[in-house]
Amino acid sequence: MESAKGAEQHAPEQSGPAEGPAQSMAPQGPQEDQRQLLYHEETIDLGGDEFGSEDSNNLVDKLDEPMMESVLISDSPNNSEDGAGDLGCLQDVVETVEGGTDHRRESVVDEEALDALSDDGESEGQDTPKDVSDMTPDSRASLKEDPEQEEVKDLPTFEHEGAEDLGPGDMRVPAAGPASGLSPRQPAPKDEPVPMCTIFSQPPPAGSQPRVLRDGFESQMVKSPSFSGVSEAAARTPPQVVQPSPSLSKFFGDTTSTNSLASDFFDSFTTSTFISVSNPNASPSIPESLSSLAATPVGEDSLGSADPSYSPGTERSESGVSTASLEIPQSPKPFSQIQAVFAGSEDPFATALSMSEMDRRNDAWIPGEATRNVLISVTTQQCSTVFVGKEDLTMPGLKFDNIQGDAVKDLMLRFLGEKAAAKRQVLNANSVEQSFVGLKQLISCKNWRAAVDLCGRLLTAHGQGYGKSGLPTSHTADSLQLWFVRLALLVKLGLFQNAEMEFEPFGNLDQPDLYYEYYPHVYPGRRGSMVPFSMRILHAELQQYLGNPQESLDRLHRVKAVCSKILTNLEQGLAEDGGMNSMAPENRQASVQLWRSRLGRVTCSMANCLLLMKDYVLAVDAYRSVIQYYPHQEPQLLSCIGRIFLQIGDIKTAEKYFQDVEKVTQKLDGLQGKIMVLMNRAFLHLGQNNFAEAHRCFTEILRIDPANAVANNNAAVCLLYLGRLKDSLRQLEAMTQQDPRHCLHESALFNLTTMYELESSRSLQKKQALLEAVASKEGDCFNTQCLKLA
Amino acid sequence: MMRLTKPTLFTNIPVTCEEKDLPGDLFNQLMRDDPSTVNGAEILMLGEMLTLPQNFGNIFLGETFSSYISVHNDSNQVVKDILVKADLQTSSQRLNLSASNAAVAELKPDCCIDDVIHHEVKEIGTHILVCAVSYTTQGGEKMYFRKFFKFQVLKPLDVKTKFYNAESDLSSVTDEVFLEAQIQNITTSPMFMEKVSLEPSIMYNVAELNSVNQAGECVTTFGSRAYLQPMDTRQYLYCLKPKKEFAEKAGIIKGVTVIGKLDIVWKTNLGERGRLQTSQLQRMAPGYGDVRLSLEAIPDTVNLEEPFHITCKITNCSSERTMDLVLEMCNTSSIHWCGISGRQLGKLHPSSSLCLALTLLSSVQGLQSVSGLRLTDTFLKRTYEYDDIAQVCVVSSAIKVES
Repeated sequence: MESAKGAEQHAPEQSGPAEGPAQSMAPQGPQEDQRQLLYHEETIDLGGDEFGSEDSNNLVDKLDEPMMESVLISDSPNNSEDGAGDLGCLQDVVETVEGGTDHRRESVVDEEALDALSDDGESEGQDTPKDVSDMTPDSRASLKEDPEQEEVKDLPTFEHEGAEDLGPGDMRVPAAGPASGLSPRQPAPKDEPVPMCTIFSQPPPAGSQPRVLRDGFESQMVKSPSFSGVSEAAARTPPQVVQPSPSLSKFFGDTTSTNSLASDFFDSFTTSTFISVSNPNASPSIPESLSSLAATPVGEDSLGSADPSYSPGTERSESGVSTASLEIPQSPKPFSQIQAVFAGSEDPFATALSMSEMDRRNDAWIPGEATRNVLISVTTQQCSTVFVGKEDLTMPGLKFDNIQGDAVKDLMLRFLGEKAAAKRQVLNANSVEQSFVGLKQLISCKNWRAAVDLCGRLLTAHGQGYGKSGLPTSHTADSLQLWFVRLALLVKLGLFQNAEMEFEPFGNLDQPDLYYEYYPHVYPGRRGSMVPFSMRILHAELQQYLGNPQESLDRLHRVKAVCSKILTNLEQGLAEDGGMNSMAPENRQASVQLWRSRLGRVTCSMANCLLLMKDYVLAVDAYRSVIQYYPHQEPQLLSCIGRIFLQIGDIKTAEKYFQDVEKVTQKLDGLQGKIMVLMNRAFLHLGQNNFAEAHRCFTEILRIDPANAVANNNAAVCLLYLGRLKDSLRQLEAMTQQDPRHCLHESALFNLTTMYELESSRSLQKKQALLEAVASKEGDCFNTQCLKLA
Repeated sequence: MMRLTKPTLFTNIPVTCEEKDLPGDLFNQLMRDDPSTVNGAEILMLGEMLTLPQNFGNIFLGETFSSYISVHNDSNQVVKDILVKADLQTSSQRLNLSASNAAVAELKPDCCIDDVIHHEVKEIGTHILVCAVSYTTQGGEKMYFRKFFKFQVLKPLDVKTKFYNAESDLSSVTDEVFLEAQIQNITTSPMFMEKVSLEPSIMYNVAELNSVNQAGECVTTFGSRAYLQPMDTRQYLYCLKPKKEFAEKAGIIKGVTVIGKLDIVWKTNLGERGRLQTSQLQRMAPGYGDVRLSLEAIPDTVNLEEPFHITCKITNCSSERTMDLVLEMCNTSSIHWCGISGRQLGKLHPSSSLCLALTLLSSVQGLQSVSGLRLTDTFLKRTYEYDDIAQVCVVSSAIKVES
């Protein structure tokens, strides 16, 4: 066919940062360059002559078929127009081998080919490294599992003991309550005379128990991860040091009063009428043996028969616990289940009726096949034992000590001295009530690290503290809410790895013990999942921040499938979970509304995830489909799509979406619509490189809404591009001073510090001033990186 | 100095909860208070807050290098006669980028001289921005300092081209040429291809074949995917027709001809623009040699072992020589020629042609290549070989009956 022989085709190779003397100087931050280059002489070796060229003749290819040839991208049009001079020089200096490197058959090589070869090598080198980045997380996950497995191994024996002690059925349980006489305790088979049992179920007054308990929380959180801290390591801190808050001290106080308080404590949040499940650690008097829910001894079978010699102590030493906690073995360690306690309501029907409509629709979820079978057997065979494999149970525990700490304060110590640092006062986990109220307080004043800490304490109180991962435990709606808050805050803080570690025991959030049905005596008649819907979203989204957006997408799709199924069920006149149910129309309506909004939520998450994956086409589709669930957000969604197109560089399509926004907002005149339109126009001008017009639009927004932080910041950014550094700085500084509560935002501060650096080499002072401003306003969740002080 | 790439939009991490959850409205309230979220739709990740470029980033051939140059008086003295010069040194030249070369009379403490420079990058490889500042101190001392900023200009696109000669449109002598251009994005960010066009040389007219007419609207063949992800390649197709005045001179278009060049305009983040042109694309016209043999007619499907006819056209492409040709037909394993091999075709004048009907049959089924024609110029004793002239599909006649 066509023979292009002899037609020399040159193509510049991607010269990359890898050439010649340039190597060490790959584009860097200006700061470094400054220093580095200061002493350079005027004559600079550009290393251009390391390029080579090759005649891309290749007989074999040409005979077979017309060949793909690389083409010299001469350079910008204007330059090539200049004529042969430029071009020639380019070819001499810059041209390199043609890029089809992979099938490099060197059958025809001319003299220049040597250079060519070396160049090829380089270019291939540049190509390879790109895939490396996304590897790790999986391997990490698998590694992580090991220790747990070990811990888990030990369990069956204990559980089995429990089971044996109990005998075949637990029906007799309530007969003889513990001395406490509190109803929640009733099911505890105190009366069982088996020796193993007594070890665990020593009533608190005996032995060192009370000490452990009274020690409060402070010490637990301080232990280093090397301590497998099964216990609270109480002994280390004298109890007096920390005055536990009232609620907590009561909670941990003597057993007689504990129970009711504990339940109050956890009841503070949920609306339903149940008595909280007490948990092993919090209520020492509860024996490990089974409660009314005895229905579920965890041991898979009786293989690991009770080995009396196997005491908890040995287990602990195995797991490398310091012996500091000799007393711990006595601490109540009901390795078996749930202290399912029910408030004495013998009539399940009454409670079933009392379960509110709202609970039902909120908690509704469709369990997987296996989980459903377990749940069915639990509900139908209340008297006999249902075996649930450990792998099907959720056994979470804190995975790391407190992350308490205040980066702002650390920086102040470093740059401003101790005196200034001492002025920094933020709330920490100790300074608030040890309850949900305190937790909310910490969250709202942006002390999220402290809030994470407090969640940890409250979970420890629930028996899911540090080192408890892999140990059987029971769940309540409250404990799951605590987990949700803790994990959500970790994600907000950007501590994704930590969140992942602690999320891991929850599996796919579909284990039977995460359903109300699993605890028929605690939550009589209540159905659905205890896992908050938002926690499912969080669980799915977390993966994308860890670099596995595909996994995120998979999880979101699963959530979405259930949402859709529930909606279908509702439309077909069934209950959410597909059961028969006669719902009042208004309740059905409310439920449809709720689930539609959840469907919208999950769709939006999918869109976000796709955006992160840079799959813009699908992301745009997903955002568009969110509109049907959140029609009131249509203008925002359309604007967002427009911005996506702007980001890609597709200005025309962006403009189309922005025009749609203008049409939509015309109907609902008002300030917000006006701002949105102006904002979009400004962005469009930015896309057209017209910073002056963009600045005008942002300023216009400020005229009608002077407190608009976004417009303020963006206007300042435009000023910089217009060459007005000082004006830009003035605007940003004014903004952060006027409304520090909203405007000390990461992005604004980042812009400010960037400009300080540009302005002068003595930017440190100004940055420190910013630090001081931050210190007085921001909580411990502040991301200090934006100050660029480090 | 700070490179001014386009600012980026801040993305936030939405964490929400429902009213019934423990934090109640708290998380949602926090998101509402966060200025980086979208007012009224906080769960959208892509906010509206602009952030300045965080590092120098990559710069690619054809893009515009913009930079902020700020000279700040850190001292507590007034300095005079400040002259700021920004030069860009490339491997081949040195360009002055400063907007003005006039000296500033004086600079007070804590004041600055600002300049934003732009330069369209036209060379690959190392560039060095040289900022030179000279001034006079209060004491009348002349001072001078320079700063260097070095950066690499990378190649953004990989362009490969391939020419296809149209199967000769049987009636005309001239051929259409199809150009396939593969354009690969070798940057690390998505790239919106705003324009990819072929500017033909004077000899050709070009038709772009990258859009289809759907219900009166021109739709690109690339669907909704208007952008190229990193390492993605996209194919563009163009059809080139020689202009009448060149086409008439049959045989003129031979050897190396200049086809034209590709003009590519792309945009990236927030409309950052880049433009490149390829060098002139050159094409080796099919080497017809002195004598061109082209097919005028051939059946596409023939029956096994049944004779079929083809019509060849033989053109004398040489400039002034009249040729005396002898036709030989050599059988291949599957194609058998019927008729006499070695017959005289008579005199053929320059730029004239004759048509020749030939008969052959195939002994093998399947897609068979017609090969084995030899033309010998008796004067020069030169033999021209013609293989793979065309393909025919050979089917069993039995099957044909059945069907």
